[in-house]
Order: sequence, then C-alpha cells, then structure tokens
Amino acid sequence: MNKHSSGLVEIRGLQKSFGTLQVLKGIDLSVGRKEVVCIIGKSGSGKSTLLRCINGLEVFQSGELLVDGVPVKSSDPNAMRALRQKVGMVFQSFNLFPAMSVGNNIMLAPKLVKNMSPGDAKLLAEKLLTRVGLTEKFDSFPHELSGGQQQRVAIARALAMNPEVILCDEITSALDPELVGEVLQVIEALAREGVTLIIVTHEMNFARKVCDRVVFMHQGLVHEVGTAEDIFTSPKTPELRNFISVNHGQRELV
Amino acid sequence: MSSFSTWDVIRNLLLSLPWTLFLSAIAFLGGIVLGLVLLILRIMRPNSLGRLITWYVQLFQGTPLLMQLFLTYFGLALLGFNPSPLLAATLCLSFYASAFLTETWHGCVMSIPKGQWEASSSLALNLREQLRYVIFPQALRISVPPTVGLLVQIIKNTSLASVIGFIELTRTGQIITNVTYDPFFVYGTVALMYFALCFPFSMWGRTLERKFDVGH
Repeated sequence: MNKHSSGLVEIRGLQKSFGTLQVLKGIDLSVGRKEVVCIIGKSGSGKSTLLRCINGLEVFQSGELLVDGVPVKSSDPNAMRALRQKVGMVFQSFNLFPAMSVGNNIMLAPKLVKNMSPGDAKLLAEKLLTRVGLTEKFDSFPHELSGGQQQRVAIARALAMNPEVILCDEITSALDPELVGEVLQVIEALAREGVTLIIVTHEMNFARKVCDRVVFMHQGLVHEVGTAEDIFTSPKTPELRNFISVNHGQRELV
Repeated sequence: MSSFSTWDVIRNLLLSLPWTLFLSAIAFLGGIVLGLVLLILRIMRPNSLGRLITWYVQLFQGTPLLMQLFLTYFGLALLGFNPSPLLAATLCLSFYASAFLTETWHGCVMSIPKGQWEASSSLALNLREQLRYVIFPQALRISVPPTVGLLVQIIKNTSLASVIGFIELTRTGQIITNVTYDPFFVYGTVALMYFALCFPFSMWGRTLERKFDVGH
C-alpha cells in the first residue's frame, strides 16, 4: 500500500464543472479508515457530485482524488474496476435490479467480479441479509418489498463486495418518514462496527449522532469542517448558522 | 383457354406461401443477428461506430424498401456478382430488418433508468457484464411487443420482393392474374393469406404487451 497518504480517501483541489457551471470549486478533504463523515449543505452545494466523483460516476476536471493511495482514473476501465471493489455506493432511489431476486441482487457482483463460487456467494448473501434484518427475504423480488427494505437490501448488496468505504447518497430521502429509522439503524450499526462511511444526508439528528466528523458544503466548497458537536452547537460561519437554523426548524415541524 | 379453376388458384397460391414464410423467417433471423451486433457496437462505441450505425439506420428508414431491393439486386449485379432474386431479397430484407430492429432495441436499452447503470457500475461490473446481466434482461422485456410488430411488417414487406422476380405469394398472384384475368379474386385471396399469416402475430404481440404492462 502507498504510505504517503494518511487518509483512505484523499481529495485535493478537486474541481468539477457541468458545462459552464462549476459545481466543485476546489475541494480538500481527507477521510481516514473507520471514520464516519457526514456531508451536509443546501441542495446544489455539490455534495452529491463530490460523492459521485469518489467512485468515478462523475469525471472531474482537475485536482487529485486518491482512494487507498491509488489515484482515481476514470479513463482506465481496469483501474475503475479495482477502485469500485474498494468503494461501495448506496443510492437515494435504491436501484435494485428489478428482474433479480434479493439474493441474486446481492450475489451478482461477488460472483462476477470476485469469482466467488455460487455456494460461498449464497452463504455471504444470507449472512448479509441477516445483518440488515431481512433473513427471510432471500427469494423475494424488489417490487415485493417496502422502500425501507429495498434500501436495506441495497446496503447488503454494497457490503457484499467487502468495500473499504461505503458512500451513501441521501439514502433516506426517497423513503416515507416511518421507514427512515430502520435504514438509519443499519447504517448506525455499520458505523459501530468500524465500516468507513461517507454520508450525504439531510437527517441532521442522524448526522449528529453517528458521525465522527461533519463537513458543511456551500457553493461548491468545503465551508466548515468539525466534529458533530462543533458543527451543530457552535457553528462559526453565518452560512452554517443559517443552514442549521433552517433545517432544525423543519425537523421540529415534522 | 383459361382452364384455371378456383381451386387451382388457391392451390397455386398456397404452394407459393412457403416462399413468403421462408423469406420472412430468413430476413427476420438475419435482422435479429445483425441488429444485435449493431446494437452492441453502438452501445460499446457510441462515438465512432455508433455514429456510422445511426447513419445506416437513417438510410434504411429514409428510403423506400422498393428502392433498397432494386439497388441490392442491380447493385450486386453491377459489382460482378449475379445474385439470384432469393439471395438479393434475403440480403436486402435482412439489412432492412436489422436497421429497424437495432433502432427499436436501442430505444429500449436507453429507456432503462440511469440508476441501473450507475448501480451496476458501482458494483465494479464492466460494460459487458452490465449489459448481459442487468440491462439486456430488462430491455428484452420491453422490446418483445415492438419486435413482434416489426415481424408483422417484414412479413407484409416481403411482397415487394416480387418486383425483382422472386416468386413468392404476391408474384404468384400476379402470374395467375395474367392467366385468369380475375385480379380482384386473386389479389383478394392473396391479401387474405397475408392476413392469416400476420393476424396471429399481431394478436400475440398484443397479448405480450398486456402481459408486460401488468408486470411493471
């Protein structure tokens, strides 16, 4: 392994534009092993784009992005295949494969990419389903599950590749309020077990409870970084103070 | 001295029916194979080969099949081959079918939600694995009804092969008319036979459409 980088994910001067619109204007961020980092900020602040750069779903124009000491090179399919085995992702809209059973959703990538035998893959899938509390859903199809259950399967599917870090992109935003809890519980358990997580979220209470560090993004830049306690109780910048007051107001209304 | 009885007319038309079926089947199969190759090339190389394939599709969609048949038949002759009407018609209809099929299927593939591509990319699948295990199985479901629709079009369009002298159902009808001078009866029978061929496929296509609608 490359020793010069301290963090598992190292981001330096990252810039990304969609056409003429610059979305990321020079991001610096380092995420250590076993760290849980939440990214908060208004929509349009670039948080999802930043997350999607880390596993190469978005191509950035300049700056450096290293995962486990290896630079992300989206033009090289082999490098991307190696990268994506280290970086798992869970999406807002679950994105389970609708034509496959829950078990096959989880087993597909380990069998294809890691050449896992069908027997081992089945054991792994069963173990992971138990971990997300869905032991009995192995043969169900995605459309037979609730949103919360689908998202838990998506988490199990990401875990099946045994990644170094899991990216969560607003994973509770598409859920009915009463289903948010079951998904956040699973993520909380992962955090306790020492899984490295980078989480884009609007759930401020969750961020406060689970994250080691909170990153506040504003207009394409990392505006403020700190422990959950620092960020939520003593925000330094007016933008963050404003963001927190608006979002806490919303939560009380819910 | 027309000694053609009604039965003679029908019998001769029925005897030519296998040629229409044969031509349809070969054109359809050839179209499927070539269309699939073109589809995969178009997805894997969207910028270079994909552009060429788009033009290929436009060419076949933007010119009458009648001209395509003439050009294939006489074009091949000009190049020094001497194609039989069967070979020219088979080739031309296969190209024609491949253009329409690849365009239809490409639309089906493009209609698969972006999230499916992103999720499978994120799981480190390469493009070949994504297509084989995630995208094509879903695209296949939605592509069946329009594909059956195209099959019906191809069956009907084989009638145009009569102009380059390929003796199938329509050409046989023309020949018989020249003897019996009873075009309405002969062509009426010909039309009914096409209908009898196409109708079951149309019905089947509609059933499939309904079936896949429920599944979604």
